[in-house]
Amino acid sequence: MRITPETKLTVFYCQNCFKEDSRILEAQMGSEVALYPIACSGRLDPLFILRAMEQGSDAVCLFVCDEGMCRYFEGNRRASKRVAYTRTLLDEIGIGGDRAFVRFLTESEKAKPVKMIAEALANARKLGPSPLKSASAKRRKK
Amino acid sequence: MPVKYSIHPHEALPRFKPIIRSGIIAWEEGCLKCAVCVKKRCVYKVYDQRQLDGRQMLDSIDVLCKDCYRCVQGCPARLINKALSPSYSQIGDDLFTPEVIVKTWAQATTGKIPVSGAGYGGVFSGNGFDSMWTDMSEIVRPTRDGIHGREYISTGVDLGRKELYLSISRDGSCKLPSHPTVKLELPVLFKTPSFGAVKKPFFAGIAAAAKKLLTQAIIPAAMIDKTFNPYLAHVIPSLNAKTRLNPALLKKVSLVELSDHKDVMKQMAAVKKAAPKSAVIIRVALNRKSAARCLQLARAGAGILHLEGLDSGREKEPKNGRYLKDVITEVHFALVTASVRDTVRLIFSGGMAMAEHVAKSIICGADAVAADLALLVGVECMLCRGCEKGLSCPVSLEDVESGWTTQRIINLMCAWHNQLLEISGAMGIRDIRRIRGERGRAMFFEDLERQTFAALGNKIAGK
Repeated sequence: MRITPETKLTVFYCQNCFKEDSRILEAQMGSEVALYPIACSGRLDPLFILRAMEQGSDAVCLFVCDEGMCRYFEGNRRASKRVAYTRTLLDEIGIGGDRAFVRFLTESEKAKPVKMIAEALANARKLGPSPLKSASAKRRKK
Repeated sequence: MPVKYSIHPHEALPRFKPIIRSGIIAWEEGCLKCAVCVKKRCVYKVYDQRQLDGRQMLDSIDVLCKDCYRCVQGCPARLINKALSPSYSQIGDDLFTPEVIVKTWAQATTGKIPVSGAGYGGVFSGNGFDSMWTDMSEIVRPTRDGIHGREYISTGVDLGRKELYLSISRDGSCKLPSHPTVKLELPVLFKTPSFGAVKKPFFAGIAAAAKKLLTQAIIPAAMIDKTFNPYLAHVIPSLNAKTRLNPALLKKVSLVELSDHKDVMKQMAAVKKAAPKSAVIIRVALNRKSAARCLQLARAGAGILHLEGLDSGREKEPKNGRYLKDVITEVHFALVTASVRDTVRLIFSGGMAMAEHVAKSIICGADAVAADLALLVGVECMLCRGCEKGLSCPVSLEDVESGWTTQRIINLMCAWHNQLLEISGAMGIRDIRRIRGERGRAMFFEDLERQTFAALGNKIAGK
């Protein structure tokens, strides 16, 4: 697959998912990925995803702990419900709900952050550029 | 009565939202809809001002929270939790810990001494400066009306060579070589950091701060241009063996720094010839050989020596480098034993992260210290060292303005100065020069351990 420099993926992840420093991971992944560790995935507000899309992301990925593994008991379940709700909002405004997705990580997957993020980036590339970007480009041409 | 030295801080707000230790996890689902929510009762109005910064992806509740735990304890449905912020634990290194960085940011913003609250929850002892405690025996009998009161506590130091005795000729005339001396009101010089995405406005800001604080800033000579003209009296051009001397520049400055090399004394003589009124500093690498080298230079006629350690607060050795505390003591006592300590002034740099490091360095034997990374942290650097790998700076240090830098550094030094006054006051000292090399005014962990357990070991061994 051809690497398009325009692809921008914002990744939010629970700090219990990946132990690596986000800056080290960002350096490995390049400029296409912006990583934001959060204290618990349940901390994620729909506003975070909407603001990331507004800032020019093509997709937003949330990595959460596996079912039943949340340190705060139900943070991951709450997070997936919030993403589902945000997907409906994104569908309604025409950006496409599939641009926000959740990935539950098993213990073995948590040890491979680069692989997991690369998969999410490949998914984002398949989705193509965000309609928000093309809309702003058209506005700039006018 | 002479004018007292005081620093006047003015608030310099950060450009980015500072990261704090813990964040709030406030879940909305399952809310009981109480008539008066704990979020409304927040004394700091954290929830009322809630907004999301899209640039940093930082929720304001994670920045404004003061960790009072009122909302966590008050919510009947237990929907509010506190958790360590992942960004907090990622900043800094072993010396500039996240706590040191966050407190430095706060000091640079307000100029006030950081207060960590009642009690100390940390470990008993640590490495380097953390394994020594200053004498606070006079804390119950401080100055009559506080550290800024009538009893003046001086933090000034003189830089320049001193002769140990007068030489009188047969006709009774006194032959005393005159060595230029520079007075600093603060025992902290500024030095350019070894890394950082900062550009010329930052260095000009350091020089302007040095002028306002009546201290000096060490800047590489190649970097000094007409931007620095208003501050030249407080700028120390740093030269190496290959740098060509610029007599016009040397005449305008009061101190010149030369890096150590084989013919450094010849270069020093050339500088003194070009600028007789400027004092010369020789920069020596801090390692296992530095005590011997300092002794050699002191005997050869050097007046001020700048011993440069690593950013990690250790000497420059590839393996098992000792901490600054131990190396300063070694150099100081080597010169004391050779009876030449009073002829030279010693400046130490590398790993000066906090105000207490200044006082502790002086107790170990330094005359003054040079701060570098602390200045960078003062302008919001997180010490991620991404700039060394060619990554973009997360806090856009390349865009910092000179005036803002100056004010942040003045504020930081105001807080450090006040802490030095507090430490001196608590030790019953009225002049910071008085504690130089006074190791008896501090306790060292290794000494305490030996005193406590050495006899016990002897008993077990049957001695």
